[in-house]
Amino acid sequence: MSLLRGRVASPPPALAESSLATTLSSFRGLVLRVRGAMGDRLGERRFPGRPQPAGIELESHASYAPGDDLRHLDWNAVGRLDALLVRRFTAEREVLVHLLVDCSASMAVPVRDGKLAAARELALALASIALAGNDAVRVTLLRGDAAPHETPVHRHGGRQGQPGSSAGRLAEMLGSAEARGALDLGAALEDHARRHPRPGAALVISDFMTDPTDLERGVLALRSRGYGVVLLHVIGAGELEPAREFRHGVLRDVESGGTHPIALTRSALERYGALLAGHLAALEAVATRAEATYARMSTASNVGEFVTGELGRVGVVRRR
Amino acid sequence: MTFGILDPAGALGLAAVAVLVALHLYDRRRRVIPVATLFLWKRIPASPLDRRRFRPDLLFLAQLLLLLALVGGSLRPYVQRAAARAPAGHLVLVLDVSASMQVREAGETRFDTARGRARALVEALAAGDDAMLVTAADRTHVVLGWTADHDRVRERLDALAPLDTPTRLGPALELALGEARATPGTRVAVFTDLPRDATGIPADGLAAVDWVQIGRTDDNLAIAGVVVDQPPFGPLADVAVTVLVKNYGHTSRSAVLEASVEGEPWMRRPLVLGGRASEPVLLTGPRRSGVVALRLVADDALPVDNRALAWIAPADPLDLLVVTDSREVGAAFEQIGRAIEGGRVEVVNRARYQEEPLAGRRAAVFDGFAPPSAMNALYVAPPSDSRICPGGGIADRAAVVDWEVDHPAVGGLQGLQGLGLARVRRLATPAWGASVVLAAARDGDFPLLVLGEVGGRRVACLGATLGPSLASSDGLPLLLLTLGTLRWLSGYDEARVLTVETGVPTAADFPAVVPAVGLRVAGDPPVVVAERAGLHRLGDAIVLANLFDDRESDVGREGDRTWPASTRPPVPSDTAGRHEVDWWLYLAAAALLGLEWVVWLRREPA
Repeated sequence: MSLLRGRVASPPPALAESSLATTLSSFRGLVLRVRGAMGDRLGERRFPGRPQPAGIELESHASYAPGDDLRHLDWNAVGRLDALLVRRFTAEREVLVHLLVDCSASMAVPVRDGKLAAARELALALASIALAGNDAVRVTLLRGDAAPHETPVHRHGGRQGQPGSSAGRLAEMLGSAEARGALDLGAALEDHARRHPRPGAALVISDFMTDPTDLERGVLALRSRGYGVVLLHVIGAGELEPAREFRHGVLRDVESGGTHPIALTRSALERYGALLAGHLAALEAVATRAEATYARMSTASNVGEFVTGELGRVGVVRRR
Repeated sequence: MTFGILDPAGALGLAAVAVLVALHLYDRRRRVIPVATLFLWKRIPASPLDRRRFRPDLLFLAQLLLLLALVGGSLRPYVQRAAARAPAGHLVLVLDVSASMQVREAGETRFDTARGRARALVEALAAGDDAMLVTAADRTHVVLGWTADHDRVRERLDALAPLDTPTRLGPALELALGEARATPGTRVAVFTDLPRDATGIPADGLAAVDWVQIGRTDDNLAIAGVVVDQPPFGPLADVAVTVLVKNYGHTSRSAVLEASVEGEPWMRRPLVLGGRASEPVLLTGPRRSGVVALRLVADDALPVDNRALAWIAPADPLDLLVVTDSREVGAAFEQIGRAIEGGRVEVVNRARYQEEPLAGRRAAVFDGFAPPSAMNALYVAPPSDSRICPGGGIADRAAVVDWEVDHPAVGGLQGLQGLGLARVRRLATPAWGASVVLAAARDGDFPLLVLGEVGGRRVACLGATLGPSLASSDGLPLLLLTLGTLRWLSGYDEARVLTVETGVPTAADFPAVVPAVGLRVAGDPPVVVAERAGLHRLGDAIVLANLFDDRESDVGREGDRTWPASTRPPVPSDTAGRHEVDWWLYLAAAALLGLEWVVWLRREPA
């Protein structure tokens, strides 16, 4: 404490319902771009390389087999090649986007950073983008003290951002999320993969304050079922710069209850910085090995800028 | 040296120290910080907290010092020098010692009365009080600087005597008031015969001055002026002395004016003057030259202005050599020589003089050329390449614009401003002389007459040409200027006499000498100021000093009056020698605030 101490950062404000329409409107024109997550239902997303008997965009030809729709016979090819060839079209399906939001107790600390609020805002933004792109969305709150809380699959309907719309209902559901309990994120992802074997896109929003090895297990479980996985790391500014939060004291793990007395000396801080950098690097390595996408957002930054900036850079969103 | 505080209530600020300690303890309490996970932190060695509840660190010490400095400043501490003693009183005595203070009334002089009053003030001083003694006459004189030796003050007071000079009280008062401003608690007491509004200092400036005015009588007759009218080279019979006698009283008075020359009685003239009347007395036909002593026999209050001195120069005849090629000029000088009783003028042409330089005359005139001469010489219209009289070209239609009225060569000449000259040699002021008459033409002014001494003889250079009109009425101003110059040249061997007024600086034309009693002499060439009227000798020179000052001779006053100071000087408190040091502590607090910030920054690991 000094008489001349400077100002401290304040946590980012949670998304207010009244500003929902305004916030979501800033994401118009964006679509999610997640690979390897073709769903069963017809949709607008094209999946080249997996030709279908019906469709709009011609992709290839195949030998006629009994049962094929004769309307798709390519008569020109028959005339030239004297072979029965039918047209195959690019598959157009919807993508089921699974938004998995970590609601464990660790998302509540540091209190000033508001990690859970940032995660909720990010989840809502991504859900909105997905719905606008005619993708289906399911939000799952990964809770530490209870079973995951899942929403039904939402599809585009109603006016975007209005309380009666899908986005509105998702916003209401996300707003009820609370950070509680201890969560084994890897196990929770494995469990999710088991419960939803049909592939989709899994967007995991968490602080990833867990052992990367455990996380990798869950990511691989999703990947093995054909999920496209995006790891969205919400990290608190106080976790990047712990000196903003304390100088000395007893650290208590909000999930395990374990304690560790610490004094933030210069050497301790340097050591923490090195460890944190190693941890972040390990997370990126997990993503690389699992062919997942990793992006990190500090709570000191703006969600909108993160979506349009960082997520665009790593290819998770793009302009139509 | 002792220490103390002026505001003990400031000690309440020490409670802030307790607050600081409490804040420090709160900051050092065993805080539990919730974190998302420990798996990173557990790889950092634990730092068990000191179990002591209070462990001051550098930051705490800096804050404590900062707080103590602020509290210390609010106590208003001071340092009292051990040498400081009880505050002393200060008194500046200003005494008027001008001539009017010599007025006798009620059996003693005004100065005696003033001195008695001043002495009473000195007697009333407490032991250790300081006093300063200042006199005011034509100049201000600090007779005695600040001293607590009252015997010495009394001794100096007794030794004082009024001078024969006018009064200038203003500078003395400024000095006294300056001392009063510099030394709080100083009283200023003025003793004079002048009223308070005669100083020229605003009344509010004198509000803190005790003003004592002394004197009432206006009984005074005086010789207010003397003019000696002596034509050049004229006989003593032509000398006239005009004496102006004034009665400064409001009642009619009779007196006798006595005149003597070099102690030999000359004239005695009874006079009757009405109230505030004046009368010029013409004295003619002195039987000899020398110092004229004038005395007004009258039993009045102020004797110093009842006498005066004047000088009648010896009546030496004109003895002149004129070297000129101009027949008209030669004839004019011969005519002048014949017109002056006993005058001798020898006229030769330039060739004759160059063949055999003549000498033995009291003065020589060289017309149009400037040869070296063993005589006192007047060079008329010297050539431009002259070494003695340097100059430039010819100026047409010049006129005299200024002249040194106090120079003996032109003294008494009144008509020079009417002197117009058709052709004039532009002279320059040489190193040996000074410009006495200044002329101006269309393109600027230049010296017309330069006078000085070269090699022990007097030399004059005149830029004008002398023509046949010199002896006519048209050339009268030029003739008077020429004769005045010749008189100055011829009088080189005469006694050197300087007539001055007391208190008035007058430049002397003789070398610097040791001052005499009653005279102040300074500078080279010297400037003489007479403090006493009468005859003074400065080496081989004579100084005749007279008091001709209406303000001093007009001695009538409205009686003894006193203007006490309307505002007393602030009484010095007992804070003498005390120096408050609170601002030093506040400065230290400011420095400590910066230090505390630096310590905090260094302590913050970020």
